[in-house]
Amino acid sequence: MIKLTNLTKIYGKLTAVNHINLDVGSGEIFGFLGPNGAGKTTTIRMIAGLLQPTEGTAVIGEYDIQREAIQAKAITGFIPDRPYIYDKLTATEFMHFTASLYDLTDAKNRIIGLLELFGLVDWMDELVENYSHGMKQRLVMASALLHEPRVLVVDEPMVGLDPRGARLVKDIFKDLASKGVTVFMSTHTLEIVEQMCSRVAIINQGNIIAQGSVQDLGRMARMQDSHLEPIFLRLTGGDEVLDS
Amino acid sequence: MLFLLAPRKYAIKNRLHRLKPGDGVKTAFLGLLGLGFWAFMFGISFRVLTYFRTIEGLGDLLAIRLLSMILVVFFSVLVFSNIVTALSTFYLSGELEILHATPIHGEDIYRSKFVETLVDSSWMVLIYGLPVFIAYGVVFKAAAGYYVGLALTVVPFLIIPAGIGIIVTMLLVNAFPARRAKDILVLLGLLFFMAMYILLRLLQPEKLVDPDTFPTLVQYLTAMRGPVSPLLPSFWAAKSLSPLLRGNGGDALFYLLMLWSTALALIVIGEWVCMKIYYRGWSRSQEGRKAPLSRSRAADLFFTLVSSPFRGRLRAIVLKDVKIFFRNTSQWSQLFLLVALIVVYLYSFKLLPLERAAMPSFFLQNLISFLNLGMVGFVVSAVAVRFVFPAVSLEGESFWIIRSSPLSLKQFLWAKFLSSLLPLVILAGILIVISNIFLRVTPFMMTLSVMTVIMMTFGITALGVGLGSVFPRFRYENVAQIPTGFGGIIYMLIAMLFIGTVIILEAWPVYRIFTAQTFGRHIPDSGWVAIVMSFALVVVINLLAVLLPMHVGLRRLREPDS
Ligand SMILES: Nc1ncnc2c1ncn2[C@@H]1O[C@H](COP(=O)(O)OP(=O)(O)O)[C@@H](O)[C@H]1O
Ligand SMILES: [Mg+2]
Repeated sequence: MIKLTNLTKIYGKLTAVNHINLDVGSGEIFGFLGPNGAGKTTTIRMIAGLLQPTEGTAVIGEYDIQREAIQAKAITGFIPDRPYIYDKLTATEFMHFTASLYDLTDAKNRIIGLLELFGLVDWMDELVENYSHGMKQRLVMASALLHEPRVLVVDEPMVGLDPRGARLVKDIFKDLASKGVTVFMSTHTLEIVEQMCSRVAIINQGNIIAQGSVQDLGRMARMQDSHLEPIFLRLTGGDEVLDS
Repeated sequence: MLFLLAPRKYAIKNRLHRLKPGDGVKTAFLGLLGLGFWAFMFGISFRVLTYFRTIEGLGDLLAIRLLSMILVVFFSVLVFSNIVTALSTFYLSGELEILHATPIHGEDIYRSKFVETLVDSSWMVLIYGLPVFIAYGVVFKAAAGYYVGLALTVVPFLIIPAGIGIIVTMLLVNAFPARRAKDILVLLGLLFFMAMYILLRLLQPEKLVDPDTFPTLVQYLTAMRGPVSPLLPSFWAAKSLSPLLRGNGGDALFYLLMLWSTALALIVIGEWVCMKIYYRGWSRSQEGRKAPLSRSRAADLFFTLVSSPFRGRLRAIVLKDVKIFFRNTSQWSQLFLLVALIVVYLYSFKLLPLERAAMPSFFLQNLISFLNLGMVGFVVSAVAVRFVFPAVSLEGESFWIIRSSPLSLKQFLWAKFLSSLLPLVILAGILIVISNIFLRVTPFMMTLSVMTVIMMTFGITALGVGLGSVFPRFRYENVAQIPTGFGGIIYMLIAMLFIGTVIILEAWPVYRIFTAQTFGRHIPDSGWVAIVMSFALVVVINLLAVLLPMHVGLRRLREPDS
């Protein structure tokens, strides 16, 4: 569902993303793992069509995000790491606005359903400026699911969520995947990948240094002197993984 | 495409539906202020135009001439403000991330952003302009046709600069990334003021007050075909309005058609340019990140130098503020505009034909130098509302660092005061000395006004810091929103009141002494007592202007919920 070919982004002299090739199938939860500054956000913004790649292509479904942007975006839901939401709107208004962006008619019931799912119903007529970070995060997720996307692109979804929120998101993503939705998710914590993802790619300094199933990765990590070792240390904040 | 403007509609609705207690008073106050302003603009235009009409033969010509000058000025202001607005609506606004991630056609983004840019950058000019245009209609006793023509002229007259501004912005951003383009704006601002300046010089408005040239005014007017090019939309607007004012249709229709066809053409051309280059520019605008003046020796040296009069924690705050100020191009780029304005202001003084005026020149000169004192006070507070008033708000979401540090809020506030004071005092000093030299005031007036202005600057600064903490806005998308908010308006009003009071308290004793001297009159002891009291009051008011706002501001910041 998502196919990245030689995807590259160069900022001035810095190569933030270096000739990445990835292929993510339908119904997969794909983990995009890397330490801070590895190039995750840059990659994700190129997939979402917010950033023009210096080189290479990103194809979503059968549509190239640059050349057939409208069709590609219509089947994609994007959840940025630091989302912008209109402060002076209520959750309901924000959802209705999003619905009109995707040209959805009669989205009322779906909006209520999603707000319920994300535990926002009690707050739905409050101005967003009074929301906590986690609530805003949940609202953005709800709005990204409004048009029933076939592909969900998410940047660091767990940051800022409380344990219950994290649990909720985990369940929702798994449920979506079981219905055939592709989830592409970046994170800097190994734990999240282990709990949720079927496949994973590790990015460091703009390069994909390993990819495979989560089990493969565990095996690789346990090998002494593997080139993954220092990165795993940084991803886990210690050597627990290596010891286990 | 208008569904893209829904967030604005909701925001307005929410503001109206969720009025807090006190909002009504606020709105009423602003409404009154607006009305007062309208009445003022209308009154002045009415007076000037009525006066023109009394000048035999020439009056109408002068009035029409003035109309085309006003239109030229509006047009240039509109183009510039559309460029600035388009940069933020098309490239810098956070909302764009949502719009670009969803399946919206480029045309829809263009059209909704066009409307947004048009409204945001035109409403001010419209508010300033309408009372003037209406005054024209009233003074010329124009028929209803004039007002219909006015409406039909104003719309394309606003659309054209919006189209030009948006196209120029897109081309600029395509040549430089948007964050860099802000620097380009500085350049544009300078060019704009140079253009305004040349315009002013070509029109030579001071000749109108020079009695020597009055006999040759006809020659002057005919020679003054000046810079109004028939290719400028402002020329078309003038040409479509003036025949209607005089009650004959003339070429009004032709020029209206010119305006409308150009406006519509620009909308279409803009859309075409947008489809070609907008997305690429937007993507690039997110790239350039390096802060200016961040990695250079000279900059470090400068920062160290500026903060050297301070010690310890105060120094840390001043150093941080200075760095942030100079790295935020949108902040200091306004300084260029300000300098340009001030130069024009001072230079026009140099050209005043004081020695040829009919009144006794010491009287006139002192009158003007008190007016000048007020003007300098006004300029300093205008600078302060831009740079000092937002000082506390600028701490923004990182205010917690200060609050949780062992620095007391009192120290923090006085640090803000001290770091703003010095640049303002320098500015005020330079302004008053140079303008006084141009005005050739007496040494007495020079001493008095320099002392007064410097003293007032303390109050103006403290008012800025204090009221800035009473009306803080820690969340904003753009620094420019802070001084134009409710608190900023209140600040300007209080500062004006303060300056006005000080000047009146000084001007009447000075006037009294001067007239006594000139006409050889004697001032009784009671008179001297009143004069001394008056000056003493000036000192008291200045002290209050420093202490009171700082105190109130501090109290407001100490409130737990702020
Ligand atoms: N807009 C930008 N301009 C210049 N450099 C950037 C920009 N965004 C990110 N970078 C740089 O690109 C690299 C990758 O950043 P990013 O994709 O945000 O990493 P991650 O999301 O994995 O933490 C970093 O070195 C970062 O400094
Ligand atoms: Mg990131």
